[in-house]
Amino acid sequence: MDLFLGVDVGSVTTKFVLMDREKRIVASCYLRTSGDPIAALKDGLRYIERHFPSGGLIKAVGTTGSARHLAGIVVGADIVKNEITAHAVAAITRVPEVRTVFEIGGQDSKLIIIRNGVVEDFAMNTVCAAGTGSFLEHQAIRLNVPIEKFGELALEAHQAVRIAGRCTVFAESDMIHKQQLGFGKAEIVKGLCEALVRNFINNLATGKAIEDPIVFQGGVAANQGIVQAFRDFFHGKKRIIVPPEHGVMGAWGAAILAMEYAPECSLFQGFAVVERHFVSRSFTCEDCPNSCEIVFLKENDEVKALWGSRCGKWSPSAVGKRIDEEPAGMKTVSQGEECEQSRCPVYD
Amino acid sequence: MRATFPHLLHLDVALGILYPTLGIEIVPPPPLTRKTIEIGVKLAPQNACFPLKVTLGNFVESIEKGADTLFMAGGVGPCRFGYYGQIQRLILEDLGYKVQFILLDHPRYGIRSFVQALRTMTGGKISPARIVRATALAWKVLRFTETIEAKRRALRCLVERKDALDRVVEGTLTRLRWVESVTALEEIIRSTEEALRALPLVREEGEVLKVGIVGEVYVAQEKRINFDVERLLGDLGVYVHNSVSTVEYILHTLPFTRSREKEETWRLARPYLQRFVGGEGIDSVGSAIRYAQWGFDGVVHLYPFTCMPEIVAKGILTQVSKDYDLPILHLAIDEHAGEAGLITRVEAFVDVLERRKKTRRKSEVGRAWTYS
Repeated sequence: MDLFLGVDVGSVTTKFVLMDREKRIVASCYLRTSGDPIAALKDGLRYIERHFPSGGLIKAVGTTGSARHLAGIVVGADIVKNEITAHAVAAITRVPEVRTVFEIGGQDSKLIIIRNGVVEDFAMNTVCAAGTGSFLEHQAIRLNVPIEKFGELALEAHQAVRIAGRCTVFAESDMIHKQQLGFGKAEIVKGLCEALVRNFINNLATGKAIEDPIVFQGGVAANQGIVQAFRDFFHGKKRIIVPPEHGVMGAWGAAILAMEYAPECSLFQGFAVVERHFVSRSFTCEDCPNSCEIVFLKENDEVKALWGSRCGKWSPSAVGKRIDEEPAGMKTVSQGEECEQSRCPVYD
Repeated sequence: MRATFPHLLHLDVALGILYPTLGIEIVPPPPLTRKTIEIGVKLAPQNACFPLKVTLGNFVESIEKGADTLFMAGGVGPCRFGYYGQIQRLILEDLGYKVQFILLDHPRYGIRSFVQALRTMTGGKISPARIVRATALAWKVLRFTETIEAKRRALRCLVERKDALDRVVEGTLTRLRWVESVTALEEIIRSTEEALRALPLVREEGEVLKVGIVGEVYVAQEKRINFDVERLLGDLGVYVHNSVSTVEYILHTLPFTRSREKEETWRLARPYLQRFVGGEGIDSVGSAIRYAQWGFDGVVHLYPFTCMPEIVAKGILTQVSKDYDLPILHLAIDEHAGEAGLITRVEAFVDVLERRKKTRRKSEVGRAWTYS
C-alpha cells in the first residue's frame, strides 16, 4: 500500500497525517509543540509508526507550518510548502465546493478565498494576536476555565458581554472591567468568542466577498463557542462546515501536495529518525553590523542545515569549522521543557 | 567640510564618484544594517515613516564616522517626505550633534534656496562646465547600477547558478566605485554584459511566471529594508521587473526631463486617479496597469506602513486588480514586519499564480485579487 506522510509543525501544535492514495487518512495525531519542535516531531513519528498499517510504504513526505524547513530536514521531506497552500488544498479535497476557508491557529489566522477549486485570494494575520488561538488560551487561563471546556461554557450563556477585541491588551482590561461589573463567566466567555470573530473579520475580510460554503479549520475550530459566534455573525445565513479533521488539515494538505509532487524516490529518513540525536544551536556572526543569528541543525558532529545568514557566506561546512574553533560561542536554541502529558495525542 | 548622504540602493556608488571630483570630502554612509535600523527606530518618532527612521540611522552612523555636513532631498506636498529633512535636523540638534544640514528642495518652492543648496552640494566655486562633466559621469554610473540590478532580477530565475550571477553583479558594483572616466565606465559595461551573456541558462523567459514590483521609491528599491523580496521571488523561479527607479524619480521632478515612459504611466493611471496624491501613488497605479498590459502574472506592491500615498494607491489597486484580472500582493514594511510571515505570503502568492496559470480563465473578469 502506497502511503503519504504530511507534517505540519506550527508554533503551538504539531500535526501528522498518514494518507493513502485515495487521500483517505490512515492515521493522524495532534500534539503540542511545547517550544521544542524536534521532540514533537519525534513523538509524532513514534505515534505514526505505532499506527502504521502492515505492508504500507511511505512514497512521499510533505512538510508545512512555521517550522516546515526544520521538519523537512529532520523527517526528510520531498516537498516543503507554505501553510496557506497546504490548508487550501486540504479544504478543497474535503469539501470540493468550498468557496471560503477560515483557518485559526495558535499564532496566526488565515482567510482563503477559493473559486472553482482554485485559490483566488488570501489574507494572513501574523502581527496581531487578538484573532488567534493563543489569545483565547491566555484568557481561558485567566478565567480558570480549561480551554477544552471554553466552547461548552460559551454555549451556556444566554447573552454575550461586549468586549473590545481590537487588541489583546484592551480586551483583557475590558474583560476584567466586565467581571467587576458582575457578569458571569459564561457571558464573558461568549463575549470573548464574539470579540475574536469580530477581530478576524475586521482584520482579514475587509473588501473580500465571503461566500459559502465556508470551511472552518485549525485548532480553534474545535471550539463550539467560536463556531456559534461565526454563525451569529452571519445571522445563520452562511453555511459553515467544520470537518472532523479540522485540526490536521494543514498536515493533510502537505500529504496531498507530496502525493501530487510524486518523487521517484522519497527522501524520507525512516522511523529510525527518533533514535537519532538532533540539536538546534545558534551563534551570532559578528563579521558585519547586521549581527545575523545563524541557527543550525546539528546531528552528532554534522551540520545538517542552517538558517539566518543574510549574506549567504555561511555553509554547513563553514559552520562546522567554526564549531571546532569556538565551541563555547554556541547557544542551544530549543529550550522546550519535557512535558509528557501535554504532548500526548489528543486528536485521532 | 566632510559631507555625507543617505543610502538608496546604489546611490552611494554614484555620489561617491561625483563628490571627490567636485573637491568635496565625503564620508560614505556605512553599510545599511540592522544596527542602522535600530538607531533610527530608537531616535525617530514612533509613527514616522520607516524610510525616515532608516535614513536617520544612516546619518547618525555617518556622523559617528566624522561627517559634519548632511545632504538630504526635501519637498512640499501631500507626502510626509517633505518634512524628513526638517525633522531629522531637529532630532540631530536635540541629540547635540553639531552638523550642517543642507536640504535640497524642489525649485518650485523657492528657486533661490534651491540654487543655494545646489551650490553648497556641488562645491560652490567650481566652474559649471566641470560640474556638468562630473555629474554626467555619476549619472551614467547611477543609470548603470539600475540596469545591472534589472538584469539580476530578470536573470535570477533563468540562470543555472544563482551565485555566479551574484558574483558578476557584485563584482561590477565594486569596480564601479573606482571608475574615473566615461571610457572606463564603458569598458566595465561591456565586460559585464559579456560576463552576463556567458552565464548558462536553464530556462527561457517565456516559460516562467512574471511579477512586477510597484510601490514607494525607498522601500520598493532598498532590498536591505524589504527583506530582498526580489531575490526571494527569483529563487522561487519568478522573473521580476521593478517599476521603481531613482533615475526616473529624479528626472520626474522637472517637467522638461520627464521620460516618455513615466508620462505614459501617469496617463494609464488617469481613469482611476486624476490628482497628485504625493509620493509614488499615481506611479504605483499606472505601473500596475502597465504590467497587466504587458501580460505579467502578478504584481507585488511594497510600501512603508502608514504611507499615505501608497494607502490611496492600495485602495485603487483593488479596483485595478478586478478590472484587469491581475493578482496583487500588498506588503507593508516597517521595523515590526516579520520575515517569516512575509516569506509565507510571497510563497503562497507564487503558488496562486502558478495554479492560476495552469487553469487560466481569461473570460471571467470582475474579481478582486488583493492579498495582504
